[in-house]
Amino acid sequence: MCASLPTLAEPQHFSLIERVLFLALAAASAWAFWRRFGPIFNKILHSKKDPGFSLAPIGRRVRDFVWEVVLQAKVISQRPLAGIAHALVFWAFCAFALVTLNHCAQALSLDFLAPQGRFGRFYFWFAAVFALACSAGILGLFIRRFFVRPKWLGQISPESGFIAMLIFALMATYLAAFYVAGTGWPGHALWWAHTLVLLVFLPLIPHTKHLHLLLSPFTVFFSRGGFSKIPPLAGDEDFGLVTGRDLTQIVSLQAYSCVECGRCTEHCPANNTGKELNPKEIVLGLRAYLNDLGPQSEEPLLGKYNSQQAAFECTTCGACEFQCPVGIEHLPILVGLRRGAVNTGEWEDSHGAKLFLALERGSNALGLPAAERDKFIEKNALPIYDGSQEYCLWLGCMGAYDPRGREIVLSLVAIMRHLGITFGVPRKEKCTGDPVRRLGNDLLFQQLAESNLESLAQARTKKILSICPHCVRTIQEDWKEFGAPPEVEHHSEFLARHLPELNLVSGLDLPHQAKSGPGGSFVSGHDFSRAENAQTMTGALAPEVTNKERIVFHDPCYLGRYRNVYDQPRAVVASAGELVEAPRHRERSFCCGAGGGLAFLGEEGGERVSHVRAAELVATGATTVAAACPFCNTMFRDALTQVSESRPGAPTVQLVDIAQLAARNLPHETN
Amino acid sequence: MKIIVAIKQVPERDAPVRIAANHKSIDEADHQWAMNEPDAYALEEALQLKEKNGGEVIVLSAGPERVGSTIREALAKGADRAIHVVSDDLASRDALGTARLLAEAIKPENPDLVLTGLQSEDLGLGQTGVIVAELLGLPHSTLIVQVEKTDTGLKVKRELEEGWFQHIELPLPAVLTIQSGGNKLRYATLMGIKRAKTKPVHAVAAADLGSAAAPVLTLEHIALPSKQKSTQILPGSAKEAAAALVEKLKFEARVL
Repeated sequence: MCASLPTLAEPQHFSLIERVLFLALAAASAWAFWRRFGPIFNKILHSKKDPGFSLAPIGRRVRDFVWEVVLQAKVISQRPLAGIAHALVFWAFCAFALVTLNHCAQALSLDFLAPQGRFGRFYFWFAAVFALACSAGILGLFIRRFFVRPKWLGQISPESGFIAMLIFALMATYLAAFYVAGTGWPGHALWWAHTLVLLVFLPLIPHTKHLHLLLSPFTVFFSRGGFSKIPPLAGDEDFGLVTGRDLTQIVSLQAYSCVECGRCTEHCPANNTGKELNPKEIVLGLRAYLNDLGPQSEEPLLGKYNSQQAAFECTTCGACEFQCPVGIEHLPILVGLRRGAVNTGEWEDSHGAKLFLALERGSNALGLPAAERDKFIEKNALPIYDGSQEYCLWLGCMGAYDPRGREIVLSLVAIMRHLGITFGVPRKEKCTGDPVRRLGNDLLFQQLAESNLESLAQARTKKILSICPHCVRTIQEDWKEFGAPPEVEHHSEFLARHLPELNLVSGLDLPHQAKSGPGGSFVSGHDFSRAENAQTMTGALAPEVTNKERIVFHDPCYLGRYRNVYDQPRAVVASAGELVEAPRHRERSFCCGAGGGLAFLGEEGGERVSHVRAAELVATGATTVAAACPFCNTMFRDALTQVSESRPGAPTVQLVDIAQLAARNLPHETN
Repeated sequence: MKIIVAIKQVPERDAPVRIAANHKSIDEADHQWAMNEPDAYALEEALQLKEKNGGEVIVLSAGPERVGSTIREALAKGADRAIHVVSDDLASRDALGTARLLAEAIKPENPDLVLTGLQSEDLGLGQTGVIVAELLGLPHSTLIVQVEKTDTGLKVKRELEEGWFQHIELPLPAVLTIQSGGNKLRYATLMGIKRAKTKPVHAVAAADLGSAAAPVLTLEHIALPSKQKSTQILPGSAKEAAAALVEKLKFEARVL
């Protein structure tokens, strides 16, 4: 079969002039490459060492590298068409490494792959298949970039077009060599054409965003890992990202790796609602800073190159970091810039200062007296955790002080009591420090984390359960800097685990429930009706009655992207009604607008993030929105009112937490 | 301008109030401590005056060791140095006793301006600042919400009742007691805390301040206000009941 295929025929003999010319051009190309790449390399190298960086565990790094770089899995999974086109080009480049080396070595008669040999024959055809795939891929990307033109790619970049043509020319000249005899002048011309394209391509790499070819494999490998992993501050002069001196090697490497694909911007809730923040521009701003001033500059990072306002518009939803195909970790950068501004007192914002002062002097982000929490605990006879119970039920600011947050807690309490699971609430609780951590106030965060760690240790706390994904994340990951936090779990995980018991109970209790009639719910002010509940129940027992409540689940950023919990809350929703998915769900979920401390800041510029998301959720046709985070809940409460006002006549959409869904099936005399 | 700000450390607002066994003091075992809020505004005013006119801000606080944390907080927010009058018997001193300590500590500094909160959040006597002024023989003004430096002295804005304000000019040196809310407070920063570590804190024992006179007032007994609720139903027609109600409001409750 192979015999019928043409053989790659490249010139075998080069004249002295050709050899000298090749060496001279190759040296010039290498020189042009290094003239640009050298300074970049040095800037990365001479950036500050990353505090807290460790190569171990290496397994995670290798796994990420194989998954994200070798297999291109992230690129493909999040943008399949462009992703596959990109992967074809990437894999072709890998396949071509050997071919290109051999091609250049030929000029010096050092070639090591014989086209007639078994391996050579196989390999050149192997590469040819990739060349065809690459040509198709690059053509697709060219069409996308110059004709489809998605808006997040930004302005048309002629250099990208030129590079695409070079890649296309490389593939064409390679394939042509199968059909042109190597010995005559056409063979030599073809060889030279391929070589010249190569030598032009090389110096263009560091001059354009194609620098990611060289850097991003390293960026992915050396990434901090984890999600939004905020590095510790090192020494007495580290306040976060203040000037060039604070840019670490990882940050600089990431800044130079950006391929400007705009995935971060495409998914950014701030950017999508008309705000100034553009995560891609933040990274490119750092790159421009490094290009102009370098990593030793005392010039502030926020100012000419990046704006403070943009940095403080981030909800820390992490869509950018999740999407980034070249391993850029946007959150440590954005939070780092905020740390720089807040830790030095540069950030002046009346709402922000109010939040900070409330937490300097009080215990909660809402600025309410702690006595309100005590009253809530007393009124509902919640036991105090003393180390003997199974769970320490962490109330959090929302669960302890916010009326809707309290309802969620009470639903969960009813479920735990029903299941006979022992629990207690901490006698004293301070804010976990989530909003101040994300806003970059390290002083306050440390005080809150240490104070909480101490009182939890005093109570011999082993296992924490919380209704708030922000609390869960902050306790589990961010507190680690100051001690060993107890095990912590979000209530969606707890509920999913106990779902069989809950559903079994509900089936047995059905007649009792049906008799109980409306009202009498264990939480005053609950707005879900018993009749509807009974209907769901009947539906569960007799599948032909399928008038199930359509419930759309909103993935909280801090539960999904931060904690990788997607299925558990869905299981709870599915047990209560028909699960409906919003267009953007799971990893691609769109923020409610509350994260990053923004729930406590003033009115946002542009459109409200919460309104955009609420409209999307309502457009699914669901009659109920299920949240799993008290912050999402509070954002949607207002937003849904707004959305329903704009849809006169449409049925109102209910808003519940998954704990409230799970508690619906309880025999209601509990508690 | 050399400004001294006298600050007091008070129990955090959420602190549980329990009477100690001797019925003469509050049980402090469970307390966390904070800067008295009007004093925080006095500090803010001082820092803003310094930022506008240059000079030095010195914080002054009397109390036991624990007061150190509040002093550091003030230094972190921007004060240049501190004087800590170390005294363990502040609870048994009245406003005059405390003011004597403060005045003695202030004298050798010869400041241009002394600021303090108009009252403390715990005892709320509202006297310490003005007594300090008297002891130092300086002009003073109370309930200040705005301070402006002029060529000859100060122009200040006082808060009166019912939304009225009074504008006063007074010479320097002077003592002002500051009302909360005149400015926006700044938050403490990590950089501030780190810088504060190297700022000097001069500790002086209360006993070394000479006129540490015995308190004029002695405290007999303290008690929590008793919670009482009584309801009376006034019988008769609406007219009779209304008449009885007026009678009671006039002579029993004395609110009419």
